[in-house]
Amino acid sequence: MAGKIKVLLSKLGLDVHNRGLITVAKELRDAGMEVIYIGNSFPKEIIHTAIQEDVDVVGVSSLGGAHLTLGVDLIEEAKREGLKQRMAFIMGGVFPPADATKLKEIGFDETFMPGATREEIVSSIRRIVSDKADRSL
Amino acid sequence: MVEKKRTTKEILQTKLADKKRTPLYHPDVLEKLRQEFERWRNTIVREEDRKNWHTTPRTILGSDIPREMLYTPLSNPAFDYMQDLGHSGQEPFTRGIHANMYRGKEFTMRQLTGYGGPEETNQRIKFMIAHGATGINALFDLPTIQMYDSDDPLSKGQVGMSGVTIDSVEDMELLFKDIPLDKVTISLVTHYPSNTAILFPMYLAMAERRGIPFDKLRGSVQNDITLEEVVRSGLEYIPPKDCFRIQCDNIEFIRQNVPLWNFVTYNGYNLREFGTSGVTEMAVALANAIGTVEEMLSRGHDVDWIGERLAFFWSPASDFFEEVARIRAVRRLWYKIMKYRFNTKSPRSLWMRCHVQTSGVSLMREEPLNNIIRAAYHALAAVLGGVQSLHVDSYDEAYSVPTEEAALLSLRTQQIIQAETGIIEVVDPLGGSFYIEALTNEIETRILDEVDEIEKMGGYVTAIDKGWLHKKIAEYFYNERNSIEKGLIKIVGYNIYKAPVDLPPINVFQYPEGVEKRQQARLARLREQRDHEEVSVALTALEDACKRGENVMPYTLRCARVCCTEGEMFKVFKKAFGLWKPPVLW
Repeated sequence: MAGKIKVLLSKLGLDVHNRGLITVAKELRDAGMEVIYIGNSFPKEIIHTAIQEDVDVVGVSSLGGAHLTLGVDLIEEAKREGLKQRMAFIMGGVFPPADATKLKEIGFDETFMPGATREEIVSSIRRIVSDKADRSL
Repeated sequence: MVEKKRTTKEILQTKLADKKRTPLYHPDVLEKLRQEFERWRNTIVREEDRKNWHTTPRTILGSDIPREMLYTPLSNPAFDYMQDLGHSGQEPFTRGIHANMYRGKEFTMRQLTGYGGPEETNQRIKFMIAHGATGINALFDLPTIQMYDSDDPLSKGQVGMSGVTIDSVEDMELLFKDIPLDKVTISLVTHYPSNTAILFPMYLAMAERRGIPFDKLRGSVQNDITLEEVVRSGLEYIPPKDCFRIQCDNIEFIRQNVPLWNFVTYNGYNLREFGTSGVTEMAVALANAIGTVEEMLSRGHDVDWIGERLAFFWSPASDFFEEVARIRAVRRLWYKIMKYRFNTKSPRSLWMRCHVQTSGVSLMREEPLNNIIRAAYHALAAVLGGVQSLHVDSYDEAYSVPTEEAALLSLRTQQIIQAETGIIEVVDPLGGSFYIEALTNEIETRILDEVDEIEKMGGYVTAIDKGWLHKKIAEYFYNERNSIEKGLIKIVGYNIYKAPVDLPPINVFQYPEGVEKRQQARLARLREQRDHEEVSVALTALEDACKRGENVMPYTLRCARVCCTEGEMFKVFKKAFGLWKPPVLW
């Protein structure tokens, strides 16, 4: 795969907790990815920015309970714009394990919960991005 | 020539230099002990231990303070009992603010409560009180914390999720329905000065409707600029100087009108949990408190008028003895600041009163039952440190909002400490330990050094504005993460002693459904039925007050009385003060 992996990171909705996402932002940058961190944002804006910046990965973080409601909106918006095939969608944060399963059913490519290591996050992003690139060939 | 303003540290150094010290240990005894110690060290201690005499415990949220292998009187040779410790309830209050401490008043068991609509949280509050909680900590949902109404498009999908949703005085009425507000102390977790200025008046307007006079109300708000400007991710921020002004407006108004209410809780907790050492946590809170007292003096108030009701909020984490020592250290330091820097007269003003919450980021998703043990140690350290009130985190918080069962277990943790361990019988049981006293001294010095750094920068508001604190935090939590990944900070069940098999799942709280719709319907009805003229006049008056520099709270109270919503009032702040762009964190 050519070039750097480009990642858009956003806090989902009004969530105040950004320690985790900023840590991930730094780790992805250290792993050689290009990271665009936009702070708090909402599904429509996130998708708009993802298109504008032509990113490979959209990562959102939610610790406040809105992972399903806003997560559904985000994926619907992505589908409407035809992004699901070429961009990876990832949700991180605090949510019940059963909801992690639901998030995958909705269409998220991966979820990360507290305890996810740098290695897990970086390698699964690389894998998902490369899988998507292969499929779109 | 303008005289250079002296820092708190410089003032304390000058004033304390004059005080005659009476060391507990006679120099001859110390000298003899030193010889014995050296002999022991050279003959009995292994060479390896001699070489590594100091080691540094690496823990989550730790301060990296090196420790000796064994503490002796030589670790604190100038120890002066009366000056460094005193008895409990006596200057310098190292041993506790009350002579009899928990014999006189047990620590308040104040669990955080909040989810769903006001109806759901009202039920949970009653449940906690019925099981022996002696205080309530009402936690708001994200739209309420960030000051958007439930019907704002930005609030979609987030109403009532990780706290209770409040839009207007009517919701406050539902939240505290049938709860005896003149008996139970209520802590409203209004993190920011802005949401304190908006939500507390709703509480007051609710009390008016119930016919409870303001001077009967007891409880606290947080009201801390650190949370609004530093420890959050958000969409819109008002500038630090305006935020600080609102913090002080709130203090002034509440002090004047609600005399038993604690008008500020300097919140070290959320800052530390975001990512700072225990030392920085306390230094920042003290710098903010010092700035507030200065501002109040410049507004013409007496130092004791405000000093008597200042309160703090700390996060006890995993380094057990550091946590005990920290609480003792900051109690002594705050006493010195109030006495020697601000020349207070009232004994109450010398008290560092505090609430603590056990550390949340120290809890793990892996093997969640281990968190019960962690939180119990955090709570035990806090009680040994002599805190006034306590919240114990629940073991399932890396999954969701606590279940009722988990919330009850947290309360039980406190009750077991209080009723079963016997530790509350004796005041400051660790006082006098060579280790604890040396560590208390070390931590006090380190906190004061960081306060000094902030003051030399131009004070706390400047430290925020320049991004100094933001950078410090980001660096801290990134390094901490690296230390965990490298295994330098050990976490059982996560990076050491990992369970070879998957453990059975725990029960996890599911967020209630339908809250958002119900809340929006209530809000729609409110918007229709209230007096539109009164609402618009009250909001305009608030805007004028913001611009004129008048205290905002009489105006937000007026807004609350006529059912203005939280979002409407926050809009006024944004319009009057403009928006500020916080420093980038990475």
